[in-house]
Amino acid sequence: MKKMIMGLATVALLFSAGNAATLKVGLASGAGSMDPYAHNETATNSILSNIFDALISFDKDLKTHPALAVSWTNPEPTVWLMKLRKGVKFHNGSDFNADDVVFSYDRVKNWDKSGFKGKVSMIKEVSKVDDFTVKIVTNVPYPILLRKLTYIHILDKETLEGKSEQWIGLHAIGTGPYKLVSWSKGDHIKLDANPTYWQGKGKYDKVLLRPLTNNATRVAAILSNEVDIINRVPVVDVNRVKANDKLDFFVQPGLRLIYLQMDQDRDKSPYIKSHDGKNPLKDIRVRRALYYGINEDAIIKYVMKTFAKPASQLSPEAVFGYDPSIKTRVKYDPKKAKALLAEAGYPDGFEIVLDAPNNRYINDSQIAQAIASSLAKIGITVKVNATPKSTFFAETGKLNTSFFLIGWASSDGDASSIFDGVVHTFDKDKGYGRYNRGRFSSPKADKLIEKSAGIMDPNERLKVLQEAQRVALVEEQCFIPLHYQVDIYAASKKVHFEPRTDSRIWAFDIK
Amino acid sequence: MTKYILNRLFHSTLVMFTISFIVFFIMFKAGDPVELMLPPDATQQDVVEMRAALGLDKSFIVQYQKFLSNVAEGNLGNSFIYGQPALDIVFERLPATMELAVIAMIVSILLGIPLGIISSIKPNSILSRIIMFFSLAGISVPVFWTGMILVLIFSVILGVLPSSGRGEVYLFTSAFTWDGIKHLIMPVITLSVFQLALILRLTRTGMMEVLMQDYIKLASAKGVPRKVIVYYHALKNTLIPLITVIGIQFGQLVAFTIVTETIFAWPGTGKLIIDSIQNLDRPIVVAYLLVISFIFVAINFIVDVLYTFIDPRVRV
Repeated sequence: MKKMIMGLATVALLFSAGNAATLKVGLASGAGSMDPYAHNETATNSILSNIFDALISFDKDLKTHPALAVSWTNPEPTVWLMKLRKGVKFHNGSDFNADDVVFSYDRVKNWDKSGFKGKVSMIKEVSKVDDFTVKIVTNVPYPILLRKLTYIHILDKETLEGKSEQWIGLHAIGTGPYKLVSWSKGDHIKLDANPTYWQGKGKYDKVLLRPLTNNATRVAAILSNEVDIINRVPVVDVNRVKANDKLDFFVQPGLRLIYLQMDQDRDKSPYIKSHDGKNPLKDIRVRRALYYGINEDAIIKYVMKTFAKPASQLSPEAVFGYDPSIKTRVKYDPKKAKALLAEAGYPDGFEIVLDAPNNRYINDSQIAQAIASSLAKIGITVKVNATPKSTFFAETGKLNTSFFLIGWASSDGDASSIFDGVVHTFDKDKGYGRYNRGRFSSPKADKLIEKSAGIMDPNERLKVLQEAQRVALVEEQCFIPLHYQVDIYAASKKVHFEPRTDSRIWAFDIK
Repeated sequence: MTKYILNRLFHSTLVMFTISFIVFFIMFKAGDPVELMLPPDATQQDVVEMRAALGLDKSFIVQYQKFLSNVAEGNLGNSFIYGQPALDIVFERLPATMELAVIAMIVSILLGIPLGIISSIKPNSILSRIIMFFSLAGISVPVFWTGMILVLIFSVILGVLPSSGRGEVYLFTSAFTWDGIKHLIMPVITLSVFQLALILRLTRTGMMEVLMQDYIKLASAKGVPRKVIVYYHALKNTLIPLITVIGIQFGQLVAFTIVTETIFAWPGTGKLIIDSIQNLDRPIVVAYLLVISFIFVAINFIVDVLYTFIDPRVRV
């Protein structure tokens, strides 16, 4: 009898050990592909970062660390010699070496459906020096190369050569802490720990990633203990999660800025009706009036239920380029706004349409509604046109808008992406300003932005970036910053979880 | 009969051709998938290259022609998002939806018809009134609400059933494993409540009508046992309109499991189609709608054939 009980106890122990070793994560969004170059978006990047490594990695505060590259030198400002980690193996047993790096870089740059071309656009050439050294040559001195390299997951040349796009899209073979076991699209991704991972084996033997895209479903899954962690806790459910004593609750300042762009290009803007028929947004006093006239505190309190941080500039504090001298947002001041409008010749305001997506950002269309009621108080009649993201991005891309709400995440941890992509004058040939859809243009800011790209000294570069922001935002009021989103997570008290600035859930970090 | 089948086939092909054109056109007009696929830091040049890679830089006519010539080779194109053949993805997800729909339909029929008969024989009894009360509730309550309440009670409060996902799959279905069955219970209930109530009410009305007929009275007068009258003569005559409705409803179940699949994170085609529409993944939307319309057409055909077995007058 005693033996039997002992036996049962052992079996029970085995079972409980087996259970404790599976980490279950409920995600707001699933992966589009197992090909790490197919979709450059947070959800897919987050999932694949468990399977793949890059040369460089971000820690949870967006600092760069050696990963598959162990050290690097700059014999010239445009040349990077990188020593690679030895003894690393891909999940199928083949060795990692310089050929894999050259192969991966080629595929990122030349595959016609690559979503990561923007990350390598400044790289001229990657070549093999010896088996464990590569040489990277950039077009100009390129200080943020390391940050960009964190996005390029390294693929195995031996395995992938000659394989079809479809095959690569289903089979993820990396060097990362977890191996892909199975992917049932829309249901789950199963991962097993890689016992020979170069940083050691992860604490959890198995990881189950489940896309639970419906908010209520995701919350139910953590409340009923079926998953250990969820991301994007909807603000309406925060109190239910907080009230549960088995759960921890996390708020992490995010990287995404929510802001307004204004048509500053056309003399007659398609969705503005003003008494003189002109486009009032070309006048800086009107743009400032909009800034003063939006009650952002009320938006954060009532629309975002306090889960957002007021934005006074283009990047949050975690991003390189942040300017501590523009720490606080201008105070809501409808009187001053009205005075500025009167000064510009619009004492009775004007009519305008505010475009916004309704399924892209947290509470996006409600924010637009709140802005409309705010601006009504200074005499501007705002009609909100909220559309699905599929329509919204296509229409703003065609400049079929006068005034719109949009977001930007500086996911490199460096402000250069918002400067190149949004602040700089639109220039198709040089690749600037694709998201500058109000066509803001300041030659002075452009010059500073272009200059900042080639400065290797971080202190000097920071100064130039801050100057560019001062010119664009303070002097010219290029956009109207509203707030930064925050990431909200819930996790079982059984797991030790720390949120990351880049919004990824990296199972290796979870103890 | 052969002529009849050929005729039906021709019509069905025409229907599917028209559907493909309409869907293709709507998706073409809906927006630009490349804007959604590429990250914000992509340049305008990257956008141009991606458009060319997906063939989206061509005019509508050229794109549709290419689509048709691919269809002739049995290829509905590759998904923009997944990069895999669209038809493969739809078929990968279809079993999950079919098992949900089939089981929900079986539950609805097995419960709906007997309950309908019971409540039609003695319409004023207490049991009938209880049944009718619940059937009214079943027809009126929104699916979303049913699903959420079930999750709240059985997963969050009692913790006896999993709140979401599909269980272990064995031979294309999760109905053969205990884990699978546990995952199926709530989605099936959610999906079958409305169908059950509908079938119940239709059976009841049909039965009550038939039981009033002269030939039933004649059968009674001749001394045919009550059971034989109800379950043979009356039921058989009630079944014809019922089968029509069940056929149509089954098509609806397959096509409109969207809400149920969303609540329970069920990896079926309903969830797939919603995601694909949002991402403007045209090949999947077109492939899905063609498969679904094919199912509708096939069900109608089967229902027509079934008629001929139940009612000899319909025989061609």
